[in-house]
Amino acid sequence: MNETPHLLPQEIIDLYKAEFGAGILDARITDRGEGVRKTKGFNIWIRVERNLLKPAIKKLMDIRFPHFAVIAGNDLGDEIELLYILSVFYGTKFGEYMVTFGIRLPKTDLTVPTITDLIPGALLSEREKQEFFGITVTDIPDGRRLFLPEEFPEGVYPWRKDETGIKPEMVRELWAIDRPKDRPAPPVPEKKPVEEAPAAEGMEKKTGGAAE
Amino acid sequence: MNGDTAKKSTPYTVPIGPVHPALKEPVMFTFQMEGEVVKSVDFAPGNTHRGIEWMGMRRNPVQIVHLTDRICGICGIVHSLSFARAVEQIAGIEVPARADYIRTILHELERMQSHILWAGVAAHELGFDSLLYLSWRVREQSMDLIENLTGNRVNYGIVQIGGVRRDISDEQRPIIEHGLSYYRGLLDQMKTVFLDDSTIRMRCRGHGLLSYRDAQLLCAIGPTARASGVAMDVRHDYPYCAYGDLDVHPVIPPQEFGGPQGDVYDRIIVRLLELAQSIDIIQQCLDNMPTGEILWEKKLPKLLLTLKKAQGEAIGRVEAPRGECMHYVRMDGNEAPATWKIKASSYSNLMSWIPMLKGEQLADVPIIVASIDPCMSCTDRVTVIRNGSAADLSKEDLTRLSRDKTRRLSQC
Amino acid sequence: MKLTKSFNRSLWVFHLNTGSCNGCEIEIVATITPRYDPERFGMRLVGSPKHADVLLVTGPVTKKMAAKVRRVYEQVPDPKLVMCIGTCGQSGGVFYDSYNLDGPIDQVLPVDVYVPGCPPRPEAIIFGVVKALEKLERLEAAQ
Repeated sequence: MNETPHLLPQEIIDLYKAEFGAGILDARITDRGEGVRKTKGFNIWIRVERNLLKPAIKKLMDIRFPHFAVIAGNDLGDEIELLYILSVFYGTKFGEYMVTFGIRLPKTDLTVPTITDLIPGALLSEREKQEFFGITVTDIPDGRRLFLPEEFPEGVYPWRKDETGIKPEMVRELWAIDRPKDRPAPPVPEKKPVEEAPAAEGMEKKTGGAAE
Repeated sequence: MNGDTAKKSTPYTVPIGPVHPALKEPVMFTFQMEGEVVKSVDFAPGNTHRGIEWMGMRRNPVQIVHLTDRICGICGIVHSLSFARAVEQIAGIEVPARADYIRTILHELERMQSHILWAGVAAHELGFDSLLYLSWRVREQSMDLIENLTGNRVNYGIVQIGGVRRDISDEQRPIIEHGLSYYRGLLDQMKTVFLDDSTIRMRCRGHGLLSYRDAQLLCAIGPTARASGVAMDVRHDYPYCAYGDLDVHPVIPPQEFGGPQGDVYDRIIVRLLELAQSIDIIQQCLDNMPTGEILWEKKLPKLLLTLKKAQGEAIGRVEAPRGECMHYVRMDGNEAPATWKIKASSYSNLMSWIPMLKGEQLADVPIIVASIDPCMSCTDRVTVIRNGSAADLSKEDLTRLSRDKTRRLSQC
Repeated sequence: MKLTKSFNRSLWVFHLNTGSCNGCEIEIVATITPRYDPERFGMRLVGSPKHADVLLVTGPVTKKMAAKVRRVYEQVPDPKLVMCIGTCGQSGGVFYDSYNLDGPIDQVLPVDVYVPGCPPRPEAIIFGVVKALEKLERLEAAQ
């Protein structure tokens, strides 16, 4: 059981800057306090060069074995930013930090190495990013589709904001199917814009006798 | 149904699902079996993929809170709370302390009803149907409390960005305290019924093992990880809502039960002890409830205007009954978030099925699959392919396999 | 539908989840617990569609589940009733504009009774079952 001492957030950032130097493009700390005493929880956000991703995660594993949460992604136009969200020092009272490593991949070269040799539990998250963003994870042990159905068209990536995203004709408006034509289309203008009001109007007709 | 498999040497494939037991979504399992023993398992989720994150990126945050209520019906408040906390961090909204305490009370009430729900489902998988009915009868009391406080049994709709929508009045406090004392009186009985029963111990001790190292590597969370000895609990490590003022410790199977061994029995222990912990937390919150406002901003148009100008990214993290639930939100000055990523708690626990199911018998599959609490038991379909021909087993057959084993064990 | 005399007093129910959030599932299982106790109507949950009289369908139909829903429907022997529980199967509910949903349940199966709500209370589900019984009696009287 490694018992490396508990570090402050700034000390973790200093360790990284000392080892990787210019490879750390940006580092910041945010915090949040809630309740009466406003005890703070800290988040560390570090942006690294793309080839430093695995060494950075390995260094975190040397500090204390982290808990890997998920990989999030942003579509920034020309680049896709991948955020590897981990948390370190769990088990310490009020002492856990969320550490996020961000890398940016240009859309012309969307490959990233797998981290399942370091943390096997990341497999599901990497498969999900492959099908939702269209990135390729090299050396992934199992690259099948995870959530999308088999008949989903290739080349359509739901979370992208460019032309490979979901096209309007793929979206199915469930509330409008079989809706009677003599009702005004929602939102009805004179009411305040409440979220569920249009759907409630359409349901009135269908409930018939089996209503609550 | 039972053909002769003794002479068969190569592993044969058993697909189970997707209309199937013990799952948050219908999930397709494929088992490679040798005789009655599972050699390897593969699963394919995706049957309840509704495109929630994509829909959320087209709506404004106040509308998304209503959508998050319906991501999962059993984790009622958890997703709304994570999302609201993430958005509040981005926009710099400070939640009044009273709202934090009310959120905590509902959070713990939801944990109580979820653990009792799971206890009933586990008993059903083992063959104790009367225990299923008894525990769900007991659960009705917490559903009444939740309905008294929020107006609905499932999908509370009480979290709003900046606070909660309903207050706890002075007339409601004695009702909550009466409910808590009802549960305190029942705790010893539940412990006796679940933990002292020799049949449950025989079925659950030593099955579905997940070692400490595996739990760390496969990113298990919640009671699944705590039963293996990994002491992680978001309420203790990364304070949110009122937990910064309280003293919450992660519940690990104590030495009097043999310490953490990582099997199904330990997971039962952890959930029952967490029930006792939740009652204490609710009592502490009621005693120390601060006075004040419950919403940061009551007028919706003003709230929406503030959210429209918000920029940045944040992570909202809470401890759901099944583990850690995390939402990542990024807003960049539009009405809808630019990115929204949900990590539900069962997402992390799914990978831990693989080491748990290896080497187990087919009759133990229902209880092991249900032991990580992947939400609901529906029904299933099992097709057994032997020598190229297919025979259909129904859920009744699979449950009967499980119950026959209980009967066999209790007779010897 | 040809009905037999033994049919119109006890209904055996098979529950099918086409991708819902599980809220309706909890309320269905809560309905069979001692507080609401529909077994006094003769209603019980069975494990196989081949034993069922009524199919309780919940959830908006995801693309992956659409074909399986139809297969399960075909396995339920005649005479049968389909009950649609919850709002997402009727008009989409909060999932009103998604790319992975195949529409309300009545685009996939013929539905007889609708029980709206998100999720509907156990009392509403029992009311729906009583309406289903009344419908069966009406159909039998009409034959």
